[in-house]
Amino acid sequence: MNFSGKSVLVTGAGRGIGSAIAQAFAREGANVGVNYLTNAETAAATVAACETNGGVALAICSDVTNKDGATNLVSETIEAFGKIDVLVNNAFRPYEFDPERRKLHWDLDWQDYQSQFEGAVQAAHNMVQAAVPNMLTRANGSIINIATDLIARPVVPYHDYATAKAALVGFTRTLAAELGPLGIRVNTVAPGLVYPTKASERVRENIKEDIISATPLRRIAKPEDIAGPVLFLASPWSAFITGQTIYVDGGLVME
Amino acid sequence: MTTDVEYVGRLHGLDPERIHWEPRQYGGDGEKSLIALTPNLQSADLSIIASKVRLNARNSVKTWPVDRVLTAIDQTVARLLDRSHPVRKKMEHLLPIVTGYDEEMVRIGLTGYLKTFRKPQLQRFITEDFPNPGILDKFQPLVKGGFGRAFGPDLLAHVWAGNVPGLPLWTLIAGLLVKAASVGKVATAEPFFAGWFHDVLAETDPELAKTIALVWWQGGNTELEAGLFREADVALAYGGDTAIAALAAQAPASTRFLAHGHKISFGLIGREALDPSRASSTARKAAYDVVRYDQQGCYSPHVFFVEKGGAISPETFGTYIAQSLASYEEKFPRRPLSLAEASSLVEWRMAEETRLGGKVVEPCNGNWTVSIQLQDRALRPSGLNRTIRIVAVDDLEETPILSKPYKTLIQTAAISATPERLFNLASMLGEVGVTRVTALGDMTSPEAGWHHDGRFNLLDLVRITEIEARAETAAEDLASYAD
Repeated sequence: MNFSGKSVLVTGAGRGIGSAIAQAFAREGANVGVNYLTNAETAAATVAACETNGGVALAICSDVTNKDGATNLVSETIEAFGKIDVLVNNAFRPYEFDPERRKLHWDLDWQDYQSQFEGAVQAAHNMVQAAVPNMLTRANGSIINIATDLIARPVVPYHDYATAKAALVGFTRTLAAELGPLGIRVNTVAPGLVYPTKASERVRENIKEDIISATPLRRIAKPEDIAGPVLFLASPWSAFITGQTIYVDGGLVME
Repeated sequence: MTTDVEYVGRLHGLDPERIHWEPRQYGGDGEKSLIALTPNLQSADLSIIASKVRLNARNSVKTWPVDRVLTAIDQTVARLLDRSHPVRKKMEHLLPIVTGYDEEMVRIGLTGYLKTFRKPQLQRFITEDFPNPGILDKFQPLVKGGFGRAFGPDLLAHVWAGNVPGLPLWTLIAGLLVKAASVGKVATAEPFFAGWFHDVLAETDPELAKTIALVWWQGGNTELEAGLFREADVALAYGGDTAIAALAAQAPASTRFLAHGHKISFGLIGREALDPSRASSTARKAAYDVVRYDQQGCYSPHVFFVEKGGAISPETFGTYIAQSLASYEEKFPRRPLSLAEASSLVEWRMAEETRLGGKVVEPCNGNWTVSIQLQDRALRPSGLNRTIRIVAVDDLEETPILSKPYKTLIQTAAISATPERLFNLASMLGEVGVTRVTALGDMTSPEAGWHHDGRFNLLDLVRITEIEARAETAAEDLASYAD
């Protein structure tokens, strides 16, 4: 798949899944906006990897849960690359995936949910509102939201995180219905446990083994595994797919 | 590679062996193509053909009740609607090669078009102009007193354009209904349809088919044009302004010359149609009007005036149209453009883009273009071939003024607005020259019996002979039973 001449913006692309997605787009010739919030160093490393891969990349620091932050991120990307063809909403509120130290439901405050909603739905909402006007000038675009397979199979019940991601799937569907007639597709990619990432570094081996044994493809996802379906959903190969959720978890969830 | 061969023209009265037939190729090399054999005609040939069809008509249709003509046309059209009929199959197969239009569009277009010529529609067609169709057969009492009878021309000449497949059917059928003999000059761009209609008519009513002759020459041959018009009582011509003016110059004063020149059409979309539940379906209908026959028809839209103040802005509405054009492109791809068409389109696009408040939405292959104009409100023509202008207006009621400078050029207006506004706008638009108001999505399929360019299709062709009431009274004096 050749993305040369395409402009892609990935939020939360400094590390982990976001970084792998940015690098994969760069490998296919895209211009990539690499958004990050706190760690300039890892973002710079992503940009360097993108450029080694043959693409053009730009690191942009911005808080996408904030409307102005999202607007600035989009304007800077358009200033650098002229347009936005693909938006990948990958950023989320920091969350520690530790099955042994997770909060039980009766320990949760509403604020925990609120915080995850902001990181998932509000961030995506801000980004979509900022980026869609540019996509409309061509009546063409692809938006990909990153969720989790925990919404379908809560192997570990991370209530606040998974509920917010489930809301993101609803957000994807209504948005797909709204933007389809305007030429823009919206889909969700729902990864299973991805290792290694910053968020998953504390997951114990026995949990990983349990997941591996229940997974038909008998392994845990790598960040690069997530990039393939994202590129597919960004490409004309998926021109007639919108409002869908693609699980990328080796078959743990089947729908 | 498959190549079909088709004769152009139906030359009653001439020996085909004596004619020199020249081949012309339609369709690309290496793909499906079609060889047309075109007759090389002289002015004297036209006189022979004209005399022959005139005589044939005198001996047949002129003496028949109009109902027989209706039945013959109805049966002919029924055969052409039957997708298993050999001529219908030929139309579906060859018209896309000849015109470049997508096969599906041609197939759906043919059915939609032909079904407007079934008997009930034909009856409506006649009644529009003759409330008492019996006037075409016999003297009928007139409201003012006395009697009247309508006589069609002895010979009706047609010069057709090739922009829309099937175009000749309108005037051919009009000629049959007024019992005229016809000589039609087919267009180089699409010279076959009229002949195929003739052939199926010959199956259902051979005598009637002998009243229709079809001829061809390269447009602009003034000698043959003058020759044809000299033979005709009434001449009907389609074409661009220059072509029409050149043709008109060839018509003698004694021939009634009726022309259908270039027209442009447009749509009006009120804010009441621009809410989230309606806007996208409204846009889809509007896009359909743009896609059908790639805007080559007189009824095809060039501009959609879109009212501000609705929940969906004119700009967003333009994007809805863009997406609909993109999806129609998948279903009915645009025909390949000639170099001249493509370059004039590029020129048009650049002019649109540089207008103040203008922007252009199009895909990278350029197969359609939406020009959204937020400031320039003029009724400018589109670049044709799936290019459309979206012009933002504060109120739809401004649009009649905007279209006024084009009074002689405008034809159809599609209106999407409340019933009150529909009538109000229609009356304002009628004043500035619009002759047909329709719904979005229906711009390219006029109703049976429409008054093309605001004229009477049949009434314009006939002359009425009246028996005044006084003649009747005077005759009474001479009756055998007179006291």
